[in-house]
Amino acid sequence: MTASPILMRGVAKRFGSKPVLDGLDWEVGPGQVIGLLGRNGAGKSTLMECLLGLREIDGGSIALFGESPDALSDATRARIGYVPQKSDLFDWMTPLPMLDYFKALYPRWNDAKVEGLLGRWGIDLAMRNQPIRRLSGGEQQRLSIIRALAHDPELLVLDEPVSALDPAGRRDFLTELIDGVIERGTTVVFSTHILTDLERVALDVAFLKDGRIVLEGDLDDLLDGAAGHVPPGARVPSNLEDLFIEVTR
Amino acid sequence: MSSHSPQLFSIVPGSTEPIYRQLVDQVRRMAAGGQLAPGDALPSVRETALQLAVNPMTVSKAYGLLELEGVLERRRGVGMVVADRPRSVSDAGERLALLRPTLERAAREARELELDPDAILTLFTQILKESA
Repeated sequence: MTASPILMRGVAKRFGSKPVLDGLDWEVGPGQVIGLLGRNGAGKSTLMECLLGLREIDGGSIALFGESPDALSDATRARIGYVPQKSDLFDWMTPLPMLDYFKALYPRWNDAKVEGLLGRWGIDLAMRNQPIRRLSGGEQQRLSIIRALAHDPELLVLDEPVSALDPAGRRDFLTELIDGVIERGTTVVFSTHILTDLERVALDVAFLKDGRIVLEGDLDDLLDGAAGHVPPGARVPSNLEDLFIEVTR
Repeated sequence: MSSHSPQLFSIVPGSTEPIYRQLVDQVRRMAAGGQLAPGDALPSVRETALQLAVNPMTVSKAYGLLELEGVLERRRGVGMVVADRPRSVSDAGERLALLRPTLERAAREARELELDPDAILTLFTQILKESA
């Protein structure tokens, strides 16, 4: 039996006395493409950082493909890709040495995919010779996505991956997600406030509120049966935006 | 018999209809109205997913439901084609049922505008005559 890509049980995380994650249970199965939704400050980034072992948790347990995030084997680490909300690339380097640096850390690296994406996403020769910090926010975000896709991960964790991209850049990203990622059966967890993009690619959604996953399910079913997910008397949500507002209120 | 490109479809994310249902409704209407003729091949799931920038599973789900309804059939080596005699659109009653979701939306807006039912029916009759 293969372990779930993500399994969280009773996870607690506090900043000072303020609980951010409060006994959170969540499981993501292989091949799921799931949108993580919540208000600003609900703890979506914290959840993702705890998940990946970038932050210590105060209680509960997390397993990635059956392993604890703070003692992840190299083999399991190589199965995971992550695009942080704020680009954390080595910004004094130029793009190609940065990518080479990461290439050395992974047993598998898809050079053809990297070259293809650099070309299609407009990282031209002039940009390739610039330190990353001189690139625009959108260009840095594109590089960060390329880095996360380069080793063909089986689990992709995306924290607001398109926040700095213009509509054309977002569409390029969605196309790559559909053709190069979802088609391979990759498990994808991503947070975004751009609900129309989410609706295009996510089959499932999970709502984070008060430190827990308060509602989770098939997006089409949630939209079809939206009336059952809001308090009696509340307006029945008719689309994803309304559902978001009602559920996270 | 012809093949159709994914430009056949248009979807609006963020609307009240989930994307799969928008696709199902469009194919039903086009098959009922004759823009899609029996034997016509639909664009592949992958082509359609890429053109519309939606998850391929969403397109598969729509095609699967249309196959169950008998509007489409899976033909080996060709993919999805419009069924010879789409069962769901064979009589006027069933074609009428296809109009229901649109009319329900119009009725909702009419209620919100607090319009008199007779005035609405008069307007609709007038519109039907205009477009005839």
